[in-house]
Amino acid sequence: MTVVTPGQDAERIQPRRRRVFKHRRSPGTATIGEALLWLGPALILIIGVVIYPAITLVATSFNKYSIIGLRIGPAGFSNYVNFLTSPDLGQVVWNTVIWVGAVVALTILISLALAQFLSKEFFGRRFVRWAVIVPWAAALVISSQLFRLMFDYYHGIINQALIDLGVIHKPIDFLGDPHWTMPSMIAVGVFVSIPFTAYLFVAGLNAIPSDVYEAARIDGSSGWQTYRQITLPLLRPAILIGVVLNMIYVFNSFPINWILNGSNPGFGNDTLITYMYKLAFKSAAHDVGESAAAGIFNVIIILIAVGIYLRFVNWRESEKQS
Amino acid sequence: MKKQLRWGAIVATATLASLLLASCGASAPSSSSTGSVKSIKVVIAAYSKDNTPKFWNAFKAKYEKQTGIKLNLQIIDWNDLDQQSSTMVQSGALPDILNENAYASYAASGLLYNSDQVLPAATKADIIPAFVKSGTYKGKFYGMPDLSSARALFYNTDLFKKAGITAAPTSWDEFVADAKKVTALGGGTVGYAQPLGPEEAQAELAIWLFNNGGSFKTGQTWTINSAANVKTLEFMKSLSVTDKVTQNNPGHTNRTDGAFSLFEQGKAGMVVGFSPLQAGLDTQYKNVKYAIAPMPSGDGAAPQTYGVTDYLMSFKKPGNEAAVKAFYKLYYSPSEINTWIKAEGFLPVTTSGLKLFSSDPKLKVYLDTLPNIHLTPTDDPEWDKIALTIKQNIGLAVAPNGDPKKFLDDLQAQAVAGK
Repeated sequence: MTVVTPGQDAERIQPRRRRVFKHRRSPGTATIGEALLWLGPALILIIGVVIYPAITLVATSFNKYSIIGLRIGPAGFSNYVNFLTSPDLGQVVWNTVIWVGAVVALTILISLALAQFLSKEFFGRRFVRWAVIVPWAAALVISSQLFRLMFDYYHGIINQALIDLGVIHKPIDFLGDPHWTMPSMIAVGVFVSIPFTAYLFVAGLNAIPSDVYEAARIDGSSGWQTYRQITLPLLRPAILIGVVLNMIYVFNSFPINWILNGSNPGFGNDTLITYMYKLAFKSAAHDVGESAAAGIFNVIIILIAVGIYLRFVNWRESEKQS
Repeated sequence: MKKQLRWGAIVATATLASLLLASCGASAPSSSSTGSVKSIKVVIAAYSKDNTPKFWNAFKAKYEKQTGIKLNLQIIDWNDLDQQSSTMVQSGALPDILNENAYASYAASGLLYNSDQVLPAATKADIIPAFVKSGTYKGKFYGMPDLSSARALFYNTDLFKKAGITAAPTSWDEFVADAKKVTALGGGTVGYAQPLGPEEAQAELAIWLFNNGGSFKTGQTWTINSAANVKTLEFMKSLSVTDKVTQNNPGHTNRTDGAFSLFEQGKAGMVVGFSPLQAGLDTQYKNVKYAIAPMPSGDGAAPQTYGVTDYLMSFKKPGNEAAVKAFYKLYYSPSEINTWIKAEGFLPVTTSGLKLFSSDPKLKVYLDTLPNIHLTPTDDPEWDKIALTIKQNIGLAVAPNGDPKKFLDDLQAQAVAGK
């Protein structure tokens, strides 16, 4: 009789167990029923909040609606034709390009600097980190409303401060003067986009191992060299995500433009998103169908924009690297 | 490849099926059930944060006790009302009663009950004829007025005294001269606060138009670009561009948070206001001393008053006729409607209300003119779109490089084309 040591025993049993498991089903597959059981809640959610509204949007865009929202009949492509030939579209698309481009670029640049600062140890860092996150925590509508008050021509604190400091002699109409409206909105857009982006970059910076910096120091690299040749390339995945998410987020942003541009006539400062809303409920067209066509156009535009960006930065290659 | 094809087919089928479903869902509700309803849905606009819910909740309790029908009350902010009512119609979830500032498009679509069906005859007889007229589309009375307001010229008596002006202006020349004097006081005061931003610009245009012998529609003909109207809009533009007596950038100033707030801060000499502004001045901004006068006249005729009324319209739904009728009967009983109008600081729409309110000296300036009030052509569905165009674009027409005549010509073309 041989003595079986516990170790041997375990060794003998384990392969068999594994085999039994393998026999029942190969790892990584499940029956349709089991899969549906687990995926069910997510699928219901996706169908309810993504697919169904999307289908309704497409359906709406091919129907004709009266001013009160009553379906009159099928519209064919007339909603798309009306939208694409509307005289304001050129200005609105141009505004959208400026709005998304400026907000994303400024947000990325400022956030890079801010992240560098926030990742250093200094007295009161915790406080500063909290302060940076506040604009993100506040509801966009509230932030926009506050900025509307601050930018006001007669009672706004920004004009008051600039006059008291002697920078200007008469107030600037930040939200009414066509030259100032878009820059004012961009400033607010950057302000509310920075927290998320900066924290994304702080996380990215923390993920860079310290030994690469040590090696750079030993090799005598200067601060700027280190930043350009080590920090930025290693931060690339974070920057990529930051740009793509901000592009989508800023493109779809509604409250800032809606509230800050609220008292301006026409469509001179509208982006595609606020233009779409005005088409449905505020313009003389008051046309839900045309607005739905605009909505589909918007989705296509942002997909194309993100696609071009990803192609431009060679997304696949950077994915392979990381 | 094959798998992809199969998936493509499934997705395509699902899309088609959903498209069909969605388009069916959008059509009008079928009239299958008969008999009377157990509940009605009432959508009310929020005129104020406090008074609207207070009155309507009390009303709901009374209505339910009286009829045994449940009243589902929904109070919606004015800013969202248009969007929400449009969504209700689009999805077929029509309310029974809807409170809006326009009704003609709904009536034109054949969705509404007319007064013969749901309004007691005595009630209809009590409503001031001018409002019956504005609520009548193609000979039938669909737009039941819930309350009204009339506009008049508010002026800051302190600023007038400082500028050496003794009485309110009666002509446009006097108006400009007075506005110049107030502007000359300096310290950020403006002669006239002119709101031509998208919020409510059609009202500002209407009151000046009416006081220069103009109108939007004469009989069945649109007269938006008449010579008198072009002159009026050019005058309105000159106030800011050549005379420089208005606040900065009137085409970009809304009424509530722009023109009214300047007057409430005591910074504006004059503004076209209505009773809710008066209520605010009497309770919150007591240091502003003001008086109210009829509008100055551009053509030497007697001052004309511009009035606004909103509507309580009722949708045809199977079995709700009696419930709707009971709603109107209760709403137009003097104790209900007048309590509500008084609380919100508006003006009556009934002859009996007119009598009741006439004891209030503050309302005298409006009440005297109420029976002869001018309204915008809300009885024409086309007006709903014209009003939207005015709101959205008039600010551009009065800008320094704007073209008032072209703006009015375009409006006229839009109205005539019915687009």
